[in-house]
Amino acid sequence: MAKKKKTAEQKEYAKIEQKHELKRPVLRNCIVAFLVGGTICMIGQAVTYFYIYFFNFTEQTASNPTVATMIFFSMLLTGFGIYDHLGQFSGAGSAVPVTGFGNSVISAAIEHRTEGFVLGVGANMFKLAGTVILFGVFSAFVVALIKTILVQWVGI
Amino acid sequence: MKEKKYQGIQKAFVCFLFLLVLSACQAQNDTSETRTALLKTTNPSAVTTENKAEEEQLVAKIKQKVLSMKEIYDVAVIKGEKEILVAYKVRHLQRFHMKKIEKNLQEKLEKAYPDENFSVSSDYKIFLEAVRLQEKSEHGKVTRDEMEEQLGKIFKLSKEKT
Repeated sequence: MAKKKKTAEQKEYAKIEQKHELKRPVLRNCIVAFLVGGTICMIGQAVTYFYIYFFNFTEQTASNPTVATMIFFSMLLTGFGIYDHLGQFSGAGSAVPVTGFGNSVISAAIEHRTEGFVLGVGANMFKLAGTVILFGVFSAFVVALIKTILVQWVGI
Repeated sequence: MKEKKYQGIQKAFVCFLFLLVLSACQAQNDTSETRTALLKTTNPSAVTTENKAEEEQLVAKIKQKVLSMKEIYDVAVIKGEKEILVAYKVRHLQRFHMKKIEKNLQEKLEKAYPDENFSVSSDYKIFLEAVRLQEKSEHGKVTRDEMEEQLGKIFKLSKEKT
């Protein structure tokens, strides 16, 4: 699509807009996201060690219950309304780890609670998280397919 | 107002549940040595299930051999009837080469001791269990059969996949 030439008024407007538009604090956002995301992952690491130490999980298998526990924590925090503030403050830092997944499930469930359990909660719960599940499963399938082909037929 | 009261109760309940989950598993009677096995260098002495001098010399030698690799800083060796368990910790920045180190170590050990079967693992869990077993045997709390059984459990655990 070719860009249309701006008229004189539009140019004028763009100038005014630029003057009043707030600058995005990119550096601040990055630092905060790094710190908060890192803290969440540190808690996750602690949970992993907890499972290794007190239960029969090795480093390899401990990641499964850890993910479940972290999602459970973020679901609780979302229900109490704490995670919303955290998300407001840290942006991607709280959305990118798995805790963001739990948040997106529960916040959608809370939002549509008034519409009833079936058509509200049931239908809308995975509105955001559905993409994560779909593309997660699909990309896992593709990667596994490639690996199988490489191992079975090419023999690497 | 009423809602706020409920919220407080709910929060307290969740905290209580959480504490319950955490404290329910404190029953393990580990020594302080074992408790910090994941964080510090423990340097456990190598043990065998047989109480023979030559066997003990063999595991001590194996331990020295493993420690001579500069990427590895802590190792637990336990010799069972059929297999020898070698659990080691890798220096943090070398953890990128984990697979290579494991392969090298396996080859090195098999070359040096062709008659023995080795099971090497860099997993913290395996290391922790090895230290626990070693402590127990050092304090003379376990019989030979119990040790063999526990060792079998560790081998099984080390072969587990996700």
